[in-house]
Amino acid sequence: MIDWFSYGCIGLGLVFWFWGTSFLLSQRSVLFKLHNLSVSDTLGSIAIIFGLLLQRPREWPLLLLAILSLTLWNTMLGYVLAYCSSSGLITRRPPHG
Amino acid sequence: MDSYIYTITALLPLAAAMLVFQVNPYHALVIRGVLGAIAALVYTVLGAPDVALTEALVGTLLAITLYAVAVRSSLVFRLGVLKDDLSHPQDLTAPDATPLQQVVQALNTVFKDYYLRVELVPYFDREELSQALIDKEIHATCERGSGADDEEAISRPNAPDSCPPPYRTTTRLRRLYDIMNSELLSPVTQLSYVDLSTVGEMH
Amino acid sequence: MSFLNLALMAMVVALLIPLYEAWRDEDIWQTMLSLSSISSKAAVMILLVSVLRDDWMIGVVGVIILSVGNAGFMLLAHILKRLGDA
Repeated sequence: MIDWFSYGCIGLGLVFWFWGTSFLLSQRSVLFKLHNLSVSDTLGSIAIIFGLLLQRPREWPLLLLAILSLTLWNTMLGYVLAYCSSSGLITRRPPHG
Repeated sequence: MDSYIYTITALLPLAAAMLVFQVNPYHALVIRGVLGAIAALVYTVLGAPDVALTEALVGTLLAITLYAVAVRSSLVFRLGVLKDDLSHPQDLTAPDATPLQQVVQALNTVFKDYYLRVELVPYFDREELSQALIDKEIHATCERGSGADDEEAISRPNAPDSCPPPYRTTTRLRRLYDIMNSELLSPVTQLSYVDLSTVGEMH
Repeated sequence: MSFLNLALMAMVVALLIPLYEAWRDEDIWQTMLSLSSISSKAAVMILLVSVLRDDWMIGVVGVIILSVGNAGFMLLAHILKRLGDA
């Protein structure tokens, strides 16, 4: 029973990963991609790690630490990337093609 | 032996080939980070967590920082200018850009294809500027042309909106002169090349 | 073949998408975006391998890479921004 729940969590996380990463291939702006990618990557990774947590409850401190650092750092990295990419040489460039 | 090991290991030569065939140094910098992440994954899967940790911390963080310093300090075109011409160097894209800013912007457009960054080095007077060029502190100078040049340029019929090129860009490197001569299409500057070996004999 | 093996295979396929995006170079921030995506995906894959093999050490490495690696990429983003400003 709990095995199937864990598999469901991992499968949900994989769906999130594929859904968010597929936006990378589209021709939208960087900020749009960044938003989708950070949301889906963070949520998907958390779902996968939660599924792993159900598989091995013995390793809970490690996986909990992973979830915490993932949420904090991914949010911060998303903010920093948005801040950096919205000003500077790169946006001053005319778009190619 | 599990089959996923082969699949994951195949990612490493893929990322390495991406890094090797990348021509843009800044993109190569980022792809080095990609290679580091994938290498850490491969080392872990092959059963060497200590190597993976070293790769992630030293190989990726330290190497990228050192590469960034190297790229930043080497791929630069240092252009000497007079301090008086440099009124507000910040917004190069403003529509009311001064002629010097237009020159710098045109140079930026040309050298972007060569991944060079244009850096302005201000000097107080013309003496200092030409001495800096001779001492090889800068790669080129950009200063207002003398009066005679202006009159000569006025008489040229093909000058756009009958305005003479107010600036003269002098470089001491033949290759830079060739690039600028063929690609720089700015009406506000004229180009000249100075051979430093002959200048040294004159002094 | 267990479910976790299949999940790992699917993760490799998911990793190939940002890898392709990094190879198709347009804007440096897109490359940066795919780098952050790849690094977090690789860290989660390391965690999954640690659970698959029931190996505590691998899990520790995965968590360290997840927390320290992202901090390093923030640093790199700032350096790139400085390069752009100059």
